[in-house]
Amino acid sequence: MVRPRSTILAIIAPLAAATAFAASLSFAPGSLGADQEAVSRCTAAGLGVIQNVSGTTAISVTVSSLPSACGGAALQVTVNNQVTSSSGSATVPAGGGSVTVTLGVPVAITASEQVDLLLTGP
Amino acid sequence: MSRRATGYALATLAVSMLLTSGAFAAGLSFSAQALTPYRTCVLSGTPATTTAVTDASVRQGSATSNFGTQTTNDVASGASANRRLYLRFDLTQCSPAIASSAVIRLATLRMYVTVLPAACRTVDIFRVTATWTEAAITWNNQPFGTTINTPASGSATDTYNAGTPAGCENLTANSYVTGAVVTADVGAFVAGTATNFGWMLRDDVEGSSTLRTQTYTAKELATANQAPQLVITYVSVP
Repeated sequence: MVRPRSTILAIIAPLAAATAFAASLSFAPGSLGADQEAVSRCTAAGLGVIQNVSGTTAISVTVSSLPSACGGAALQVTVNNQVTSSSGSATVPAGGGSVTVTLGVPVAITASEQVDLLLTGP
Repeated sequence: MSRRATGYALATLAVSMLLTSGAFAAGLSFSAQALTPYRTCVLSGTPATTTAVTDASVRQGSATSNFGTQTTNDVASGASANRRLYLRFDLTQCSPAIASSAVIRLATLRMYVTVLPAACRTVDIFRVTATWTEAAITWNNQPFGTTINTPASGSATDTYNAGTPAGCENLTANSYVTGAVVTADVGAFVAGTATNFGWMLRDDVEGSSTLRTQTYTAKELATANQAPQLVITYVSVP
């Protein structure tokens, strides 16, 4: 059986449309990064941060005073003592409150540690 | 190639391109997901030789003696037996450094209490406004002077209470006390509007007829999970 030319055209038409669609999505390089977008935050309040210590190392971090607006957000915690950096993550309970994040590897307690928190979402 | 084969090839290509264009569009979409970053500097009195923390208590009953090398520090109220705790955290040892433009969201003192009084006592936290050293401070030369109940409680940065009675804010010995918030002071230190001479902790009502003593672990005990701490949570961009 020989496929009619109309069938071939029916196939090519979406192809052209797809190309046009893609073309409409192109961005000029100059327009990217030329603007600033406000990134919303689930809280601007102070969060309690406690390193839970076993012996001489921090094994987890408890973050408290999380408002309900942060419920469901993904919380990533990274502890860095300038020698070792270790991370962990957990989900903030629906009603907020506190959450304990277990670190991938224990971090020795020193005179100064940096603890970074990143809440993504909800 | 047969016409049938050509037709299938074209159809496959068209579908493929449609899927690709869809994926491209999806890749360009931006979500409105919230991002909330915080940075925290935790200064701890460990090891015992660290210069990040300076702590010493002064004793009215031994007014000319220095107790900067003791493994414990007391806050006490008693007849001529009052004791005060001085401590300072060196913010310049935060790494990375806290920019002067940073906004301090929360700063808390964490003191490990090992002995609590039988009565619930209020502890006042005052920002110290003159220099002192761990090796030389005594009751007689302390920055706030020797008059008890001075400075006035109303000028305290914050207060918390501690003691074994039910209902007291901190009633469990061998744990860190809670409720010692010094956010405003740390904000002033970071912004450069106040000099960091640390804090003094005293009983809210000194001169009690019954001696009331709280004992805190000093950095000299060299125990990481009891070391005095200052926890500063901040954001670089408000």
